Amino acid sequence: MELGLTERLDSFVKSHSNRQLAAIPLALFLVSVIILGITFASTGSPVQLGMEFKGGTLVSVATTQSAESLEDQFSSYPIIDARETGSRVVMQFGPMSNEEQSQLAREVTSAYTGVEIKQIGPVYGASLQKQAVIAVLLSFIGMAAVIFLIFKTFVPSGTIVFTAMSDILIAAAFMNVAGIELSLGTVAALLMLIGYSVDSNILLTTRVLKRRGTVQENISNAMQTGITMTTTTLSALIVMYVVSTYSYVVIPSFSQITLLSDISIVLIFGLVADMTNTWLLNTSILRRYVTGSGQRRRKA
Amino acid sequence: MREDEEQQSLFRDFRVIVFIIAIFASIIFIQPGYSSEEGFTTGLNYGLDLEGGSWLQVKLQGATAQLDADAEALSGAVLRNEIGDSINIVNVNTDNEQLVVTFTTTEQLTTARMDQLGLGQSTVTRENNVTEVVFYTSKSTLITSYLSDTLKAEVIPERTDSGSIEYEIRTPVSQEDLERIMSNVGGYIVRGSDGTPIYREGVREETRDLTKDILSEKLNTLGLKDIPVRVVGDDYILIDFAGMDLATAQDIASKPGKFEIRIATQGNASRHVLYGDEIQSVGIAGYNDRDGQWYTPFTLTDAGALALQRAAIETGATTDPMSHNLIMYLDENEVYSAPLSSSAAATLSQYPIYSWQASTGGDEESRAKAEQLQIHLRAGALPVKVEIIGSGQVDASLGEQFRSQAIFAGLMTLLAVAAVVYRRYRKPEILLPMIGIVVSEVIMILGFAGAIGWQLDLPSIAGIIAVMGTGIDHLVIITDEVLYEGKLPPRKVYLARITKAFAIIFAAAATTVIAMSPLVVMGFGALKGFAITTIVGVLIGILIARPVYAKIIHSVLEASAEKAASKSE
Repeated sequence: MELGLTERLDSFVKSHSNRQLAAIPLALFLVSVIILGITFASTGSPVQLGMEFKGGTLVSVATTQSAESLEDQFSSYPIIDARETGSRVVMQFGPMSNEEQSQLAREVTSAYTGVEIKQIGPVYGASLQKQAVIAVLLSFIGMAAVIFLIFKTFVPSGTIVFTAMSDILIAAAFMNVAGIELSLGTVAALLMLIGYSVDSNILLTTRVLKRRGTVQENISNAMQTGITMTTTTLSALIVMYVVSTYSYVVIPSFSQITLLSDISIVLIFGLVADMTNTWLLNTSILRRYVTGSGQRRRKA
Repeated sequence: MREDEEQQSLFRDFRVIVFIIAIFASIIFIQPGYSSEEGFTTGLNYGLDLEGGSWLQVKLQGATAQLDADAEALSGAVLRNEIGDSINIVNVNTDNEQLVVTFTTTEQLTTARMDQLGLGQSTVTRENNVTEVVFYTSKSTLITSYLSDTLKAEVIPERTDSGSIEYEIRTPVSQEDLERIMSNVGGYIVRGSDGTPIYREGVREETRDLTKDILSEKLNTLGLKDIPVRVVGDDYILIDFAGMDLATAQDIASKPGKFEIRIATQGNASRHVLYGDEIQSVGIAGYNDRDGQWYTPFTLTDAGALALQRAAIETGATTDPMSHNLIMYLDENEVYSAPLSSSAAATLSQYPIYSWQASTGGDEESRAKAEQLQIHLRAGALPVKVEIIGSGQVDASLGEQFRSQAIFAGLMTLLAVAAVVYRRYRKPEILLPMIGIVVSEVIMILGFAGAIGWQLDLPSIAGIIAVMGTGIDHLVIITDEVLYEGKLPPRKVYLARITKAFAIIFAAAATTVIAMSPLVVMGFGALKGFAITTIVGVLIGILIARPVYAKIIHSVLEASAEKAASKSE
């Protein structure tokens, strides 16, 4: 299947002009920025913040009761939401005092099994938020510095850095559309995306700039390798997503592992974005860069 | 024959030897085992989310600032607080850092009463129903007293390296509130050379460490020896309670222990003197030059001081201190026992004593004892107000389920990867080394985790799966560079290609490591595991495992090329 994909992509790249190729990922980038902008305008942050960043309490128990009956049962606490996943119900609560907190913990632990509780104070959540922003910025700056050190020329390095940024923004916009909240897990995924996204871009740029042979040959070769890499990683992530999210459908004793599920879905979308960014955007920019000033449009 | 030589050269290669040693070492650190009851066992530590247990993250509330105030307004405020409204400040002399305050009052005062205030030495004269007091104090003593009265909290002054005095306030107080409180005595928050007020939220490092020690100590006295108490960031403390539910954990962390002082009566018998709530404050352990002993200072409340005086007189300790030890208990365990000093015994027969020093002896061991006592005297009450800002619980059955599910996810991921790689190359001789190397990388990450006692939690497992992803990526890059139209290229081309392949994967690995490192340094509890396993995994991959893959794939391809050649002959 992926051989077919590589070939199709290869001929697509060959038969379209640089400007046409770049248009697709740039349009995607633009749409993502608009989505993030709208979310920012309506909520005050570019992505929907999860419990870890807003503060609150999350309680998940193994039960055969319905979500509604649990919502009733815990209505004396500031319950926001209850939903069923397989044989479990996950309840979300707003901020509470320390006393209410331990009262709730006691009540839940004495009545249910398979209990998972997570509580983050709003102040701590805000400080985590600040730290997460700093972490992402630092990662990004560090990555950019390494890339510029390796390639030393502006256009190819700048393109890789832009590609990584675009990957992250597209993945973040996807989170907004799919209703995935920003959690510690998804922050980790966005950072990991930096790592994955530069992998294939470094490969492409090295092959095109440092290998003998025509640009198109080098691009085709790099594509062969790069698509294999990305599809392998994608298949690993899809399996991880399915196992951590839906395995309870087949094996009822299993439950969702939210952290793994969040990390994998964000990475999956980020990698798909990365494929378009690497093989359409980066390719077109490199092609134009290597073949000279770009006055002459390459025809296949 | 030819193949034997090839094998030998492979095993003689430096990198291959390192690889084999690393694998063996990892297996030793993982300690895999099998028992009929437990199934597969390992020596690896699991995090709370895979083992079951609960955790608490607490924030230490307080502020540190440099402060100044008007000496006259300040001494007036402090004295009115301590003595009463009929205070009339006659004059205040500043002599270097010492303040000489003269005041008059209609109250009857004694030197003993003034000493009890703990503000400094004083001389008291009384004429015509007016008491005149001259006392020697310092601005920092007065500011400390003023703040702790106003805020009802402990305030600890300390001289900084630059010579100015910094006040640690062990209760939350905002900069604006502090500024307002100080302005009532003509004071302010001192500004630094750049004009910003010297104020920050949070307590000193030593206080944070003391709080951490008290928590650890308390958990130890409850017999919970293995509970790790860690400092996270500047003002956070993280406590992991393996195998305990959250409600119990919260109880343990927030309830102080039971502290009691008793006095020996006859033989092993003793009588109750006071409980921990009569201890007003506990100072910092110090060394007394005069008697060459380490000691822990503490002060008693009025009721406590009177109770101790009465007990000492009634048991006869004032006349025969040596046979009536003062004994201190924390949660029924004896933590200190010593007789009254002869001077204390003599004083007690007439007056109560408010400020005490518990001496422990002159050697290094006594120093540790004094520091220990400082913790015990607080009876597990923390020096700083703490707020639980984060907590969590995963119960044991759920943790076990997560564990097996995470392992299942890892195995399925590996199978998926194998399937895709096989589709691409269609050669078992490439697939097997590739999967073998990825598995070996996972073994080495686990071995490393076992060696440093790292706790594997869900984020760490996500990290391992992420490393498997980059690992395969890099092996694909190596394979594609080495394969030249499906065959092994000539040696010279091969060497040039392999160098280039490693240039690519080193560059990719460097960016991943750099991208992950902020998470290791910053205060995220949960993401640290993810970042560390990713970084360690990537380093193990590019330094140990992937070079060996290049070596193996080369000999495998060479061997298959020979086989093909001999077949065609």
